[in-house]
Amino acid sequence: MKIKQNKDCDVLVIGAGLAGMVATARASKLGLKTIQAGNSSALFFASGLLDLLGVYPMDSKKIVSRPYSTIKKLQADHPLHPYSKISRNHIGDSFQFLIDFLDSAGLKYSLPGQGNKLILTSVGTFKPTYLVPETFSKGCDLNPKNKNILIVDFKGLRGFSAKQVASGLGDNNRKVHTLTIDLHENNGSLNPVHLAKSFERKEFLQTLSNKINRFSPKTDIVGMPAICGIHNSLVLVKKLEKKIGKGIFEIPGMPPSIPGLRLKNAFEKKISDLNTIFLSNAKIIFNKMENNRFILHAINDNFQTNIRAGCVILASGRFPGGGLLATRNTIIETIFNLPVFQPKLRDQWHQSNFFDPKGHQINQTGVETDNIFRPIDTAGRPVFENLYAAGSIIAHNDWTRLKSGTGVSCVSAYTAVNNFYHKISSMRNKCSQ
Amino acid sequence: MLPIELSIAISLSFIGFLYKFFCFIKANKTFKKKRLSNGLNLKGFFSNTVFQIKLFKAGKLRWLMHFLVVSGFLYLVIFHAMEDVTSFHLFQYYQSTIDPFQFLRNLAGFLILSGCLGFLYRRIFFFKLLKKRKIQFKGLVSILLILTLILSGFLLEAIKIISQPIFMEMVEEYSDIEEGTDLVDLKVYWKKNYNVFFNETLTITQAKLVNGKELNENYCIDCHSPVRSAFLSKRIALVLKKASIWLNTHRADYLLNNVHYFLSLLIIVCLPFSRFFHIILIPISSLDKNLEKKQIDNTEGHINTATLYACTHCGFCSDVCSVLPNYLITKNLNTLPHSKIESFKRLLNHTLDGPQALFRLQSGNDECTLCHKCTDICPSGIDLQNLWVRLDQKLTAKGILDNYSFVDNISLQKWEENAPQKGKIDSIIWKTPSLADNVDSFENCIQCTLCTNVCPVVEHDMNMNDYTPQQVLNLLRLGKKHMATGTRMVWNCLSCFSCQESCPQGIKVADIMIELKNDGNLRTDTMKLDNLKRDR
Repeated sequence: MKIKQNKDCDVLVIGAGLAGMVATARASKLGLKTIQAGNSSALFFASGLLDLLGVYPMDSKKIVSRPYSTIKKLQADHPLHPYSKISRNHIGDSFQFLIDFLDSAGLKYSLPGQGNKLILTSVGTFKPTYLVPETFSKGCDLNPKNKNILIVDFKGLRGFSAKQVASGLGDNNRKVHTLTIDLHENNGSLNPVHLAKSFERKEFLQTLSNKINRFSPKTDIVGMPAICGIHNSLVLVKKLEKKIGKGIFEIPGMPPSIPGLRLKNAFEKKISDLNTIFLSNAKIIFNKMENNRFILHAINDNFQTNIRAGCVILASGRFPGGGLLATRNTIIETIFNLPVFQPKLRDQWHQSNFFDPKGHQINQTGVETDNIFRPIDTAGRPVFENLYAAGSIIAHNDWTRLKSGTGVSCVSAYTAVNNFYHKISSMRNKCSQ
Repeated sequence: MLPIELSIAISLSFIGFLYKFFCFIKANKTFKKKRLSNGLNLKGFFSNTVFQIKLFKAGKLRWLMHFLVVSGFLYLVIFHAMEDVTSFHLFQYYQSTIDPFQFLRNLAGFLILSGCLGFLYRRIFFFKLLKKRKIQFKGLVSILLILTLILSGFLLEAIKIISQPIFMEMVEEYSDIEEGTDLVDLKVYWKKNYNVFFNETLTITQAKLVNGKELNENYCIDCHSPVRSAFLSKRIALVLKKASIWLNTHRADYLLNNVHYFLSLLIIVCLPFSRFFHIILIPISSLDKNLEKKQIDNTEGHINTATLYACTHCGFCSDVCSVLPNYLITKNLNTLPHSKIESFKRLLNHTLDGPQALFRLQSGNDECTLCHKCTDICPSGIDLQNLWVRLDQKLTAKGILDNYSFVDNISLQKWEENAPQKGKIDSIIWKTPSLADNVDSFENCIQCTLCTNVCPVVEHDMNMNDYTPQQVLNLLRLGKKHMATGTRMVWNCLSCFSCQESCPQGIKVADIMIELKNDGNLRTDTMKLDNLKRDR
C-alpha cells in the first residue's frame, strides 16, 4: 500500500539533470514554491565543465574560440536551434546566475568572459569549453612558461593514465613527467569517490605531497585526475599547492566524475536550503488540467504524491533520462505525449557511418518549442499555456557535437522560469490593483 | 532428638541436594576452568533473596503473590513447624492456641492461600495466552503441595475447634472439674465462645454462662484465646458442624494431623527435586555479579551451571526479547531466552538429540543481538547475556558456525560446487518480490560503478571484499545467481540503500542485495544441516 499525499506548488520541475537543477534553482530563488522530481545521479556523469558552444559549424569540427560571435552566425544559419530563440544577454545572464548560485554553495568557477578555454583532458587531448571549476583553471590554455609538467596518477584508478595524458601533451618545448602513486591500501581497483574522500584526511595529503616533492626540482606545475576532495576541493588543492610549492590543476576524466558529484552536491545543498521539495526516483504521470493547473501523480516505492502545479518545466532529458522513448517506429515523449520532431522513418535515425561529421538525425529529435520554450503542437501553438521544456529534450540541438550542452540547458531553463515568473507576477499585480 | 521420620526426610533431601550439586559441578567441567573473579554481588544477593527486588521490577502483581507466599511460609516454618526450638524458647507463655500466635498462624495461612490461588488463577485462566507465548508450565505440583499442606492445616485446626473428645481430654488433664453442673456450665460457655460441638443438648442460660466464664478463667484462659482470632478456621468449623458427629466419633483430627505432618515431610524431600529448588538457586545466581560486555569478551567461558537451573520459566525475558519478531517469523523456539535455556541444559546433559536440534539451537542463538534486555529483567538474577555468549562459543567449538562465519570460511569456488540442484527449491519461500530472478529488475544496469562508489562497505575495506555491488549485478546478468549469494559483498551489505538511491538507472540494488542475502542464508542453512548429518 502506498502512502498518499497531496502537494501544491507553483512550479514542478521534472528532471534533475543540469537543466532541471538550473530551473529549480532559479524558481526557488525567485520565491516560487517549487517541487523537483527526478534522479540527480546523472550529474555523476557530468564532467563539471560548463560548455557554451565549442564546435561550429558541426561538420567542420572547427573549434570555436569566441562563442558569442559564433552564436550570432548560428542564429542566422539555424533559426530552429534553441540559441536562436534568445538574445545574447539572456545567455550571459543565465550563466552569471548559474555561476553565482554555485558560488553561494561553495563551488567556485572561473569567471565568464568572451572566449572559450582549451582544457587538457584525461585522454591527453584539448577540449574547448566556456567555464571550468577553479581547481581546473591552471590546466586551461597551458602557459608556455610551464616547461616541465608532472602528471600524477593512482595505481588502480581506472580511466586515468598519466602516460596517456603525457603522450598527448609532450612536444619540443615541453617536458612531461609521470608519477604513479601506489597507495598499498588496496589490492583491486580504486574507486574515485573513495579516493576523493581520502583527500580530506590530513595524513593522506602529507604522504601525497611527500611523494610529489621528490619530483619538484624538475617540475613547474602538477596535473592530477579530478579527485581532490568532494566538499571543499578548492581549499584542499590550495593546501596541497602550499605543501609542494607548485601549482596544481585537475584534469577532467571518465565517469563517475568527481566534478560532477561536486556539482550535484552544490545544487542539492543550496536547493534544499531554499525549501524545495525533492521527490527522488518518482515516476511522473500526467493526469489532467484543472482550473489552468496541472494535476500530476508522482509515484515511487512508498509514496503516491498528487501534485497540483501552476507550471511544469519539462527537463526530463532524452533517451537515457527517460524523457523520450524510442518505440519500434516512432519516438514519443513519455509524460505529456507531446509531438516529437523526428525523422520520418526509422532508417533515417542514424547515419551508416558512426563518425559521420554531419551527425545522426536522432540527435536532432526532441520537442519543438516557441520562443519562450513552450512545447508547440503541429499548428505551432503552445500545447499548454504553462508547460515549458528545458535542456536536451528540446529539438534541433545536437549538443554533444556542438559542445553546447550546458549552455542550452542553462539558458532554456533560466528563460522558461523567468517567463513564468513575469507572467504570474504581472497577473498578481493586476489582481492587487 | 529428631523423630525418625523427620530425620529420614531431611537426609533424603540432603542427599538430593548433594546429587544435584554434583551434577552441576560435573556439567561445569565442560567449560574452561579459567574464571575471572568478578566478585560477589552481595547487595543484589540480599535484595533479591529477601525482597525479590528483581521480580518486583518485572511484575508487581506476581511479586505480590510471590511475596505473600514467601512471607507466610517463612512465618509458619519458623514459628509453627519449628515451634519446639523457636517459639517455646523465645516466648515465655507460648501456646499455639493463644493470641497473637493463633491469629498470626491464621493470617500466614491466609496469605499463602491467597498467593497460591493467585498462581493457580494465572495458570488456569491465562493458559491460552501463555501457550501462545510458548511459556510452559512447571511447578504446578509444588503449588498444589503447598496448597494441600495449608488446607490440611486449616482443616485440622477447624476439626480441633469443634472436637468434643479433645475438649474432654483437656478438661480431664488440666482441671479438677468432675462430672456435674460445673462441667455443663463450662461446656455451655465453650459452646458459645469456642465453637466446640457437643453431642448433647445444652440449654444456654445467663447463670450457666456466668459460672462457665468463671471456670474458664480459672482453668482454660491461660492457654486458649477466644476462637474468633482464628478467623479462617472458625469459619471452616462452622461449615463442618453438620458433619461433626461423624468427625468426632472417628477422630478425624488424628488422621489430618498425620496428613499435615506427612505433607510437610514430603515438601522437605521434594526441595531439590521440584520447583522448590529455586528457593536455593536464585540466591546462588543472584550472588554472581553480571559480567559487563567487556568482561564477557575478555574471558574464556566459565559459567555456573547452577544458575541455569535457577530459571523458573516465568517468561519475562521472552516478553522483552528484542528478537521476538524473528521468532514470530521463523517459529524457532530457540530464539526465545526462556526456551533456549532449556535446550542449553539439554546440550550440557548430552540429551539434545540430532543434528536438527543442534542446528535449530545454533540458528536460534544466532538471532540474539546481546541487547541485555533479558539479563536486566530476569527475576532469578541469571546472567543470561553471559550464557548466550558461552553457548555460542560452545557451539562454535562443536563446529556449528553461524551463517556469516560459515560463508566467510568457505571459498567462493566451494560455494559454487554446492549450488542447489535445478528445480529443487529451498524449504521456505521468502515473501519478497523475486528481483534477482527477474531479468527486468537488473538488465538496465550499465555498469557505471556509481553503486560501488557510494558503497560504505567498499570504502571501508578499500576493495578487500571479493566483489563490488556493480559486479554482483554483473554476476546476475551472467546468470550466476547462486554465486552472487555467496559473495562477501552481499553478506557484508549494510542495507544503507546508498546504491539504490544513486543508481541512475533506477535499479533496486539494495533490495536485490537483501534478497540475495536471504537466499544465501537459506542455502547456508541447508549446507550446514547437510554437514551435520554427514558428521553423525
